[in-house]
Amino acid sequence: MVSLARKNLLHDRIRFAITLAGVAFAVTLVLVQVGLFLGLLGKATVTIERSNADIWIVGRNTPNIDFGRPIPETLVLRARGVEGVERAENAIVQFLTIQLPNGATENALVYGLEDGTFWNLPWNVEAGRGGGDLNRGFNLVMDRSASRRFGGFEIGDYREISGRGFRIIGRSAQAESFTTTPIVFMGFANAQSLIEQLRERTTYVLVKVAPGHNPEEVAARLRPLFPFNDVHTREQWAAHSRAYWIKSTGLGMSMGVTVFLGILVGVVIVAQTLYTSAVENIRQFGTVKAIGGSNWDIYKILGEQALIAAVFGFLLGAGASYAVRPAMASLHLTVLLTPQFSGVVFVGTVTMCLAAALFSFRRVALIDPALVFRG
Amino acid sequence: MKKVLEARVIRKTFEEGSQRVEVLRGVSLDVTAGEIVSLEGPSGSGKTTLLSIMGCILTPSAGEVHIGGRAISGNDKALRDARRKSIGFVFQQFNLFPALTARENIIYALGIKGHKGAKALIEADRVLDAVGLSDRKNFLPRDLSGGQKQRVAIARALAGSPDVILADEPTANLDSAVGVQILDLFRDLAKSENKGLIIVTHDPKVRRVADRVAGIADGLILPEAHAA
Repeated sequence: MVSLARKNLLHDRIRFAITLAGVAFAVTLVLVQVGLFLGLLGKATVTIERSNADIWIVGRNTPNIDFGRPIPETLVLRARGVEGVERAENAIVQFLTIQLPNGATENALVYGLEDGTFWNLPWNVEAGRGGGDLNRGFNLVMDRSASRRFGGFEIGDYREISGRGFRIIGRSAQAESFTTTPIVFMGFANAQSLIEQLRERTTYVLVKVAPGHNPEEVAARLRPLFPFNDVHTREQWAAHSRAYWIKSTGLGMSMGVTVFLGILVGVVIVAQTLYTSAVENIRQFGTVKAIGGSNWDIYKILGEQALIAAVFGFLLGAGASYAVRPAMASLHLTVLLTPQFSGVVFVGTVTMCLAAALFSFRRVALIDPALVFRG
Repeated sequence: MKKVLEARVIRKTFEEGSQRVEVLRGVSLDVTAGEIVSLEGPSGSGKTTLLSIMGCILTPSAGEVHIGGRAISGNDKALRDARRKSIGFVFQQFNLFPALTARENIIYALGIKGHKGAKALIEADRVLDAVGLSDRKNFLPRDLSGGQKQRVAIARALAGSPDVILADEPTANLDSAVGVQILDLFRDLAKSENKGLIIVTHDPKVRRVADRVAGIADGLILPEAHAA
């Protein structure tokens, strides 16, 4: 059967273009904004997800990985005795002051590790040496992203942190924090020695679960032994950290509003253009009814038009969103677009457009086919 | 002769606020296969309302419509089925779908009537050939003259072989010479395809092709002697 829906859309190209632009705008708004949000959240948990630690033992009510709270360093011994624990070590995450060559001071987020190689921190050393050499003297690995805040640096340069000189032995990549404070990796003992309140203390106990053991079960075994701490699996700790940023910064609400506005723009534009089209084509729809068509035949026309607008509008919007990623990356902004997320937005777009078509359904249902006899 | 469409003692009352307007006051009219009836009357006489009721678009307040001897009940689906299977319409404003070619206009209407695929294509070409538009099948309505548009509308009405065709002022938007051609086409098709045809008109030229003239005034059919 001839598609009156498709032919009518293509017959009125300007209206079709406006509809597509509206849907594409809504899709781009949602994909880019939520992509940025997910990219930012990814930074909040990247060290948790990249590390080899299956379980994190943290100070009670520690809100996220950046805000580590002091706990006794001997707790690690308690963890090592639990069945299913392959390895447990202390780790420090703490904000410290770094002295820059120009005399200025900045904050750095210091990760102090006993064996960075084992814990896969840093996981991507693009120049120099990595975790294995962090404990051989006053060494550190600085992330590439630090050059934006700290200025350029070379392997072999020295930087002063909390009054002590450290040699940069490696440059990592992808280790960025939610707060954009540059991440610096060093040995656990060095980090501990820099902070008075961390003498004989740590901020985290990292636990690697032995092969054949389930992290959830091992965490359940650990919890009774740490009544004044929180014990999280990797996934729980990442979710906990993300939730903190979403709630405390209002980012979640902001994203919710953006998504709502995107959907609203899309629905209004599609509904408005379909409704106007329905009103302008009222004689055509009257003719469809007069020659024996039902309301359902007309609903199918409007529904097909909404579907076409959704599919092509989504393709345009998704194309624009993917195209804008390199430009955003040059501004050090990550737009995280996954196939799953794109799929969700596609389903949402189709639902949105079909919902918009519903506004026209009532109008066409009221069309009196006798109008075809009016001159 | 077999009556293909019959309106029996039709009454129609419209309510506008507190007022009741009786547009048809017991009208009866029929058409047989191959017959052309011209329904004439002044504006407001009720002829379009009668056409709408006989075309199963409106339901009468009282009275019955019979198609092929069978009474049509007043529910929406029965009326729609009757329109799909038994009635073809030709409108004053043509009412073609502007985005569809002549052939697609007919194929779309056939789709509504339940004819699809190759069968619909063959039928569309047949009726377009019948109205003399073999060489305009792929033209959009905007590229056709008024007479050609009305021919497409007639072809669409004929498609699917309905028993009766109802035409509302089919020559009103055409110049005189083209109007005569369209009326001749109506006459030829009614006879060759054995369709009942009712033409609602103000145009006196219709009498030239009509087998019978029915006059209507103030909601009542006039005696034939007066009408003719």
